Amino acid sequence: MPEVEFTINTETGEMEMHIEGIKGAACRDVAKLAEELLGAPAREENTPEFYVRPQVQKQIQPKK
Amino acid sequence: MSKYLTFTDVVFTNKALLLAALADLGYSDVEQGEGLHLYGYRGDVRAERAEIVVRRRSIGSSSNDLGFARSGEGYTPIISEYDQRTLHDGKFVASLRAAYNERVVKEMQQRLRGSLRRETQGSVVKLKIRY
Repeated sequence: MPEVEFTINTETGEMEMHIEGIKGAACRDVAKLAEELLGAPAREENTPEFYVRPQVQKQIQPKK
Repeated sequence: MSKYLTFTDVVFTNKALLLAALADLGYSDVEQGEGLHLYGYRGDVRAERAEIVVRRRSIGSSSNDLGFARSGEGYTPIISEYDQRTLHDGKFVASLRAAYNERVVKEMQQRLRGSLRRETQGSVVKLKIRY
């Protein structure tokens, strides 16, 4: 199940975000939403999972 | 006279979430407009202008107005040196950032249509969205 984890340090107000269980472009969409609300991050790092391409199954349509 | 400090590295991108975060800290009486003047604790007009202002009457008699000036990226706080030192035990900007960030997480939870779990460990708040 996709998860987005946030850690807020109340002493400084700083926040870290970690996206888990979301591969490739879908992960980028969540990061884009965060950027829209928070602005550009001070640091950004892709986990190995980011580079895994989601498997898409080919759909074969039956002949009419 | 207290000097005003502008925190250019702290930018609140979303106006609605900034207003909600200010309300979370107890500042729900907010004035909005274009280039509003900021006033000092003696009622003196200051050189700084802002688009979102919390008037000193909502803060304390020794306080100055708090402002948020709009820039290309969002809203930047303009806070007097005195208020920066005294409000929220000298952690006003940090408290506002934390409140704003929590609002961001709630907004993301709604947009992702997920569930939210919140845990506090000392001065650290951990939030998890599952969707």
